[in-house]
Amino acid sequence: MIRMTNNLKILSELKSQFVTRAIGDELVIVPLTGNVAKMNELFTLNATGKFIWENVEKADTVDDLVGILTDEFDIDTDKARNDVASFLHKLETTLPKVH
Amino acid sequence: MNTIWIQIAGFKIRLTSESEMELEEGYFPFIIPESSADIDVQGYSGLPENPFTGLLPVFEAENDDQKFYSIYRLADHRLGFAVYNQRERTDIQQIAFLSVDYRHWEVYSRPLADNKINPLRYPMGPIIMYYMTVNADAVLIHASCIYDGVKGRIFSGFSGTGKSTTSRIWAEAGYLVINDDRLIIRKEGDDYYAHNTPMYYVDQPKKTILNSAFLISHSPENRIKKLNGAIAVTRVLAFCIQNNFDPDFVNNNLAFLSNMCKKVSVYELGFVPDSKMIDFVRQNETE
Repeated sequence: MIRMTNNLKILSELKSQFVTRAIGDELVIVPLTGNVAKMNELFTLNATGKFIWENVEKADTVDDLVGILTDEFDIDTDKARNDVASFLHKLETTLPKVH
Repeated sequence: MNTIWIQIAGFKIRLTSESEMELEEGYFPFIIPESSADIDVQGYSGLPENPFTGLLPVFEAENDDQKFYSIYRLADHRLGFAVYNQRERTDIQQIAFLSVDYRHWEVYSRPLADNKINPLRYPMGPIIMYYMTVNADAVLIHASCIYDGVKGRIFSGFSGTGKSTTSRIWAEAGYLVINDDRLIIRKEGDDYYAHNTPMYYVDQPKKTILNSAFLISHSPENRIKKLNGAIAVTRVLAFCIQNNFDPDFVNNNLAFLSNMCKKVSVYELGFVPDSKMIDFVRQNETE
């Protein structure tokens, strides 16, 4: 799953296995699953995470994603890179539990 | 033909069978006179042979200790259920089929010793209760619920976090326990109501308006934290009964809870299991 950081397309494909709902600026993400034991792997994303989730298909690399983020939000590249890293870490620590 | 009508959380269920039916006593207070029906359950005696050959389950309800049921998607899009005996564990006690509108069940049961059948034999009853909610403004949730004469409160948490303890504390203080384990929450008008469901023991049908939801855990001291937005929704959803193989079911739960959490306050509550929790809860609710 670590390879996801190097290939965001994998994340794009995995998105179809989740149901999402925006609540205010945040996003609730619930995995479709075939087992009751995995029901509690749902999680939330803040406004930045929500934006990354919604735009990940537009990026081929982490640098692309950082660029999309700095274009949208009033933040510098270092902050955007940290936000992307934080987002990917959250997914990497959550998604392996459900797939 | 034998027919029994029951009503749970306002949902009317008609049970029909050529065989004589016997329900667990917890269902007796929920029996109503002849009525229209929201859900039809046709009961049959005996199991069909190998109804799901060649199919892989789309969902397995099991934990480390027990297997409850497996769900299959049939070629005609109906759902098929293999429901396991909770004593023998591996033995199938029922095979059931559910129509695509989730309103019509065919339930095939192994006959009881006296040749009667029980189409709602646990865990079939709660399965039917769950599928009553998937197309409605409703959820089935593991929680205890108390009405204090003014407010309705649910207390939800994982096994061992204090749902039954909470019920006992409030009951000993003279307040009404709606249920201490499994509820259906429904939107009725602009408000949300918590209803009890039939249990293994006998209790009358009860409901209360729902004002607050507490996600509980034992704690060395009483503490409370208001939850809002997405966190509130996900924390409550975690305790709802869910068969999340179908995105429609997930979307329905998320829509229901995101609206409910605007009306019902959600709190994280760590509590010391004694009567002081009652005043602590009342004094620290923000609404």
